[in-house]
Amino acid sequence: MSNNTPTSADETSLGYEIHPLSGAAVLPGASLSAPLSAEISAAFSASPDGEVAVRSLDLRIPLLEKNDILAERNRGYFLGRGLSALNLVSSPGAGKTTLLERTLDDFALQTRCAVLVGDLETDNDGNRLRRPHVPVAQITTGTVCHLDAGMVARAAQSIDLGGVRILFIENVGNLVCPASFDLGEQVRVVLLSSTEGEDKPLKYPPIFKSAHLVLLTKIDLADALGFKREIAIQNIRRMAPQARIIELSARSGKGLQEWYSFLRGLAPAN
Amino acid sequence: MHELGIMESALGLVQRCAAERNARRVERVVLRIGTLSGVDPDSLRFAFEVVSRGTSAEGADLDIESVPATAYCKGCQEEFTATAADFVLRCPNCSVLCGDVRRGREIELSRLEFT
Repeated sequence: MSNNTPTSADETSLGYEIHPLSGAAVLPGASLSAPLSAEISAAFSASPDGEVAVRSLDLRIPLLEKNDILAERNRGYFLGRGLSALNLVSSPGAGKTTLLERTLDDFALQTRCAVLVGDLETDNDGNRLRRPHVPVAQITTGTVCHLDAGMVARAAQSIDLGGVRILFIENVGNLVCPASFDLGEQVRVVLLSSTEGEDKPLKYPPIFKSAHLVLLTKIDLADALGFKREIAIQNIRRMAPQARIIELSARSGKGLQEWYSFLRGLAPAN
Repeated sequence: MHELGIMESALGLVQRCAAERNARRVERVVLRIGTLSGVDPDSLRFAFEVVSRGTSAEGADLDIESVPATAYCKGCQEEFTATAADFVLRCPNCSVLCGDVRRGREIELSRLEFT
């Protein structure tokens, strides 16, 4: 390596500082950790003169930074408009759309609501949810297995949020990927239906860990299916001790008043 | 399968940083992945092989450092770290289940080595 050491001026313009001995680049304000310094020295001693040494660069960059920044922007936008956004997440078929249909027919008559609904393909759910008193935007993600903050920002701009107090964001049916993507919601709601196993919370820790509220849905079917409610609740409590739990059925109406009163607690008085 | 997208953005960063440093070849990419991040390390490895093909990072070592979950116990006013992949976060002092997760959701490009 002859005389190709970059000048310090070059390095400053790149936003890095150069370790004077090793040539390793570090971000300003960060210093080389002891193990890293040791590693660099080792790399140097392994490289005889004339060999190109291995250089090392400490970065610590969050890979979902873009999404996280957009999510914070959404959160500020929603708060500024005086509305609460809920991100509804579950396996496909756990009853997100059915619960929303019922909620829009009851609760949304008193409190103005809007819905953003995500699916890979079709606008079937958007059509099911459309009501004269409820603005709805369908997001089709194509092959993407989750909603991200950018999709939510675009969809939210496409509808009239005037007077809206509660924004439901129905995520793509998937218990894995949506866990990693903050949409800018105030409340993350995870649905678990009695047609799924009682041990789902133990199988999908990240999504349950991130839940503020867990809805145990289709509870009217529990007995017929031999679904053990107590065990399911125990599993939710173990995995998500931070979450409130509401048992409900959109069909029989059981538990809906508790759900509506939770929503009223979120909607600022107007 | 959001790991592919995550790895694509990681590789984009890697290539940008390597190009800025006039790197010839990327030797090692180090990621920090929390056990509660919802990202699967094996899928990341597979995705890295796919997206690095034909780039300066092809054939580089991919190290994935796992970050265990750390939670905060309100009662004891102390943080505690779970053992490797234990997702039931029970305070070792008072045995209370804790939901205030402080670490373990990281999805980070941590370090690069290049020549």
